Order: sequence, then structure tokens, then C-alpha cells
Amino acid sequence: MAPVTLHHVKKNYGDAPVIHGVDIDIADGEFVVLVGPSGCGKSTLLRMIAGLETISDGEVSIGSRVVNDLDPKDRDIAMVFQNYALYPHMTVETNMGFSLEHRGASKAEIAERVNWAADILGLVPLLKRYPRQLSGGQRQRVAMGRAIVRNPQVFLFDEPLSNLDAKLRVVMRGEIKSLHQRLGVTTVYVTHDQVEAMTMADKIVVMNAGKVEQIGAPLDLYDRPANQFVAGFIGSPSMNFIGGRITEQGFVAAGITLPLPAGVTGGNAVYGIRPEHFALASNGLPAKVLLVEPMGSETQVTMTLGESHVIGVFRERVQAKPGETITVAPEINNVHLFDASTGLRIN
Amino acid sequence: MKTELSPRVRIALYGLLCVLLIPFVFPTWWMVTSSVKPISDIFAFPPDLWPRRFDWSTYQKVFELQPFAQQYWNSAYIAALVTIGTMIFSSMAGYAFARIKFPGANILFTIVLLGLLIPSEVTIVPLFQMFLTWGMINTHWPLILVPIFGAPSVFATFVMRQFFIALPGELEEAARVDGLGRFKIFWIIALPLAKPALGAVAIFTFLHSWNLYLEPIVFISSRNMFTLPQALTQFTDAYGGAMWNIQMAAATMTALPVLAVFIVAQKQFVEGLAHTGLKG
Repeated sequence: MAPVTLHHVKKNYGDAPVIHGVDIDIADGEFVVLVGPSGCGKSTLLRMIAGLETISDGEVSIGSRVVNDLDPKDRDIAMVFQNYALYPHMTVETNMGFSLEHRGASKAEIAERVNWAADILGLVPLLKRYPRQLSGGQRQRVAMGRAIVRNPQVFLFDEPLSNLDAKLRVVMRGEIKSLHQRLGVTTVYVTHDQVEAMTMADKIVVMNAGKVEQIGAPLDLYDRPANQFVAGFIGSPSMNFIGGRITEQGFVAAGITLPLPAGVTGGNAVYGIRPEHFALASNGLPAKVLLVEPMGSETQVTMTLGESHVIGVFRERVQAKPGETITVAPEINNVHLFDASTGLRIN
Repeated sequence: MKTELSPRVRIALYGLLCVLLIPFVFPTWWMVTSSVKPISDIFAFPPDLWPRRFDWSTYQKVFELQPFAQQYWNSAYIAALVTIGTMIFSSMAGYAFARIKFPGANILFTIVLLGLLIPSEVTIVPLFQMFLTWGMINTHWPLILVPIFGAPSVFATFVMRQFFIALPGELEEAARVDGLGRFKIFWIIALPLAKPALGAVAIFTFLHSWNLYLEPIVFISSRNMFTLPQALTQFTDAYGGAMWNIQMAAATMTALPVLAVFIVAQKQFVEGLAHTGLKG
């Protein structure tokens, strides 16, 4: 186990910069998730930590060592790849013991470590099988087994669940999280799925276009997003955004005036409110229903507020039909305001 | 969706296949049956598809008229060395062209491929002069070195490159994290996975070397050094006329390893060549 520090890390492909000076501190034993849309640079950053990509500028440290110029094998990391990357011509047992074998471990030590890892992950009956004889979930577990068998200082996961079906993804999510809780190894996990990020991370790093947009605990990011990008990326369904102007009467948008929290001043802004922060209220604002989606535990309603389309999620079973009007009230304490030009949080 | 063929269509189809088979099977059939016929029966009209009399002494005479066992050994060990050498060089070159990024890689690969466009007849005289300078005429070295560094190896390099291009990059990256250097990644990870392509290369190269004719007649002059294709031309009577039945017996024995290789490894051959498609 070791802390990982990225200090002003940059990556260029030729003249094209893809990572623009990233600073991240990952504490010993922390589970950090790098999340962002496709092409934001999160996998590149992970590969730079692994040593699979060169670092154009800045420093990556694992423990007390700067590892910029070290080969992957000398960084004391283990990586789980998106497509598992199991060696097809080797059995599960050989796959898991492979790195130990090539680091000069004795046969007894290899057997002991492989059996220990297989036991944790429920792989004991599969040890003599080849990867082609395993299901997707089993392959994923073998890939994790191969990573933990060496007891590295850092685990790196590169979208490890993206090839699994939705149900298995939830199961494996829990397994990875409990594995981390059991082993306590510093973990850097890349995903584009914000639900994975929210449920697994101690700390989330939201990336966009090669830059870090915000770093924080999952609920901090959810409750107080630093900018409009983070606000829109974290949460499902996404936060509603309504463009308009802050005035003394309230937030004036096209066709409607929305209530504002106290003490907010300014000009043009974006009004952000999460779907679950609308309440059905008889004295609320009129909203024309476009679509009603009952989910069982809650109801998702797409509606027009003024001239803006918004989504509301209600614990109540909304009976309204498309075309009808309901009255909704935004929870003022949960309103987020962003600067219209910079996208930065105002309140 | 598979369509079930009616019995009539199926019979017609099999009949057509049998007719199409004749041009491929008949020469081999004629060679084998002629090898046990007296020479006069070979030219009988109408021709006999099945020998009227069996004369097995032709197989004995093959060994009496030529040092055939020595020539057989020459062909066998030369083909084996060429096959092993080509597998080693082409797999390493194919891997390098497929997986290692270096400046000018594509241009270099194109230049290597251009070697296939040069007919062996064009280079035979300069090669003769080169091996003459090196004192290798009437040795087997030219028959080993020319294929290993010539057109068969270029084709083999192409086959191997196409295979390695399709190999997932994550496998190599996992191996790097596991502690392997470039050569060990090639040797322990990539090469064992390339068995189908290596099999195709081995069969193709073996057959090419086994059937090589132009180079032996240019570089080899003594009977003990002959390879089989060269030896087959030597079964003649005092007037230079071919002793057909003995020649056919020698040809049958020459063809046996080729048939064996095809029967044993045809699946791998087809699989290996399939990997040279446009997957990369």
C-alpha cells in the first residue's frame, strides 16, 4: 500500500496536448475513481500511472518514489484491463501465478498466493480451466485474482466492468468494493459510468477534455458541484439547467420566474436543480406534463417549465397524463446557480 | 439460415464435384499406377487405369540407379533447416513489423514485400557469383540460405505480421505489468498464440524447399549432393530416354512426405492463411 501523487502531469501526442497539467493526491488505501466522458483522458492518465504511457511533463509518485522513468514492472502496481487481458494459452492458475513466476518466486510461494487469491474470489474450482472456458464474470474475477496475487502497492482498474451485462456489473461492483475493503490497497479505478463512481469511490476525480473539473467525496460532488459540467455529469437523471437572469424578484427565465435562495446577486446565470428536488405543491409553478414514466418506487415526469424542458422525480405516484398541467416547487436550498459564461458555481 | 438440399440436387452436386476432382486426382493416380507397371504397359492403348501386371522391382531400381537414400536425406534435412530458420526469422520480423513502432516501419515493410515481385530467375546469376565467391558452390548452403532470406521468408513474414497485428494490445500491456521485456513478450505470450500462423508458415516453407528445382540445378553438380527434384531427372537409359516406371516410383516416394504433411496439417494451414486476411 502506498499513496499516489500526480503533480502537474501533462501528456502530449505530438503537438496535441491531451492531459493539461493534472494534480491529484491519493491517500494510502484510498479508492479513487477517475470519471468522465469518453475521450476525457481518464484512461490515458491511468496508463501514465501504470507506466504504459510516457509522461510529457510533471511527476507521478508512488509511495516516496517518483516513477516517471520506471518500467511498469518496477512500479509495484497491478492492473485490471477492460478486456481482462488473460493469456489465452495459460490456465487460470498459470495466469494468476504468472507475474510471481517471472519475479523469481518459489513454486511453493506461487501456489500459496494463487490459492489464497482463488479462495477469496471463489476461483478454486476453475484453476485448471482456460480463459475460453470461463464466463465474462469469471474472467473478470481471474483478472482481479491475477492483480491481487502479487500484493502490489496500487491497483489500477481500467473500465473493468464495461464488458459485463447490467446485472453482473452490479454484482462485480460489490465484489471489487468488498475486495478493497478487505485488502485496503490504494486503488485507482477508471469508469465513464457515474453510478459506478458514486457507489464505489472514497474520492471521485471528474475529468473533462484532459483537465480535472473537481475532486471530492461522491456526495460532496453531488451536493455542491463546482461547475456546470460536474453538476450535469454526476447524477442520473442529470441535473436540469435553465438559462436566465438573477433579479430581485427571482430567477427570470423564458416564460417563468423561479424562486432563488437568499443573498444571491448577479446577472446572467444558469439555474440548476436536480430532478428529485422538485416537489408536487398546490401553490407551486405550473408545469405541462410531456411524459410520465412510473418506476415503481418513484415516478419520473418530463415536463415544460416556462419554455424549458425539465425532468422531475417524485416519490408520489403522479396520475397526470401528457398534456395536463401539474404544479411543482423547486426546493430552494437545493438550487445550484452557475455563471452563464464560465459555468462556475455562484452560490 | 441453412437450406436443406433435395436428394436430386445433392446427387447432382456430388456428381459435379467428382468430375471436377478428376484433373486433380488423375495425375497422382497415373504416377502411382505407372510406378508398378512394366514400361511397355505405360504406353498401352487404350491406357490401363489399373495395372495388368505389378512390377515392384522399380522401387528397388530407384535405389540402385541413384544414391536415392542420400538424396532423400539431403532434401529432408535441407527442408527441415529452411523451415526452422524461416519460422524463426519470419516470426521475429513479422512481430517487429506488427507490434514495434519505429520510424519508417511501413516503408521498410513495403520494400521487403517488393522482394516478392522479383522472379528467382532474375537473381540466380548474381547469387551464383556470390556463392562462388564464398566457396559455397556444390554445397547445400545456397539451398538453405536463399529460401531463408528470400521470397519464401518474405511471404512468411507477411503471414506472421498479419497474425500479430490482430493480437490484442492489452495482452502485451498485461505482460509488461507482469514483468516481461520485449523479447519475453514475443517468446512467451505472442509466439505460442501464433501457432496457426506458424503452422501455415511451416507447411508452406517445407513444401517450397522440398520442391525447389532451379537452385539445386544451378548450385549442385555431384549426385551425392542432389536433392529429390534434381534426382528425378536422372532416371534415364543410356540414350537419354526416360525410364518412366522407375521415375514414377521415385516420384511417388518423393510425393509421400508432401501428402503426409497436407493430410496431417491441412486444417492448420487453412486456419493460418485465414489469419492473413484484412483483419488488422
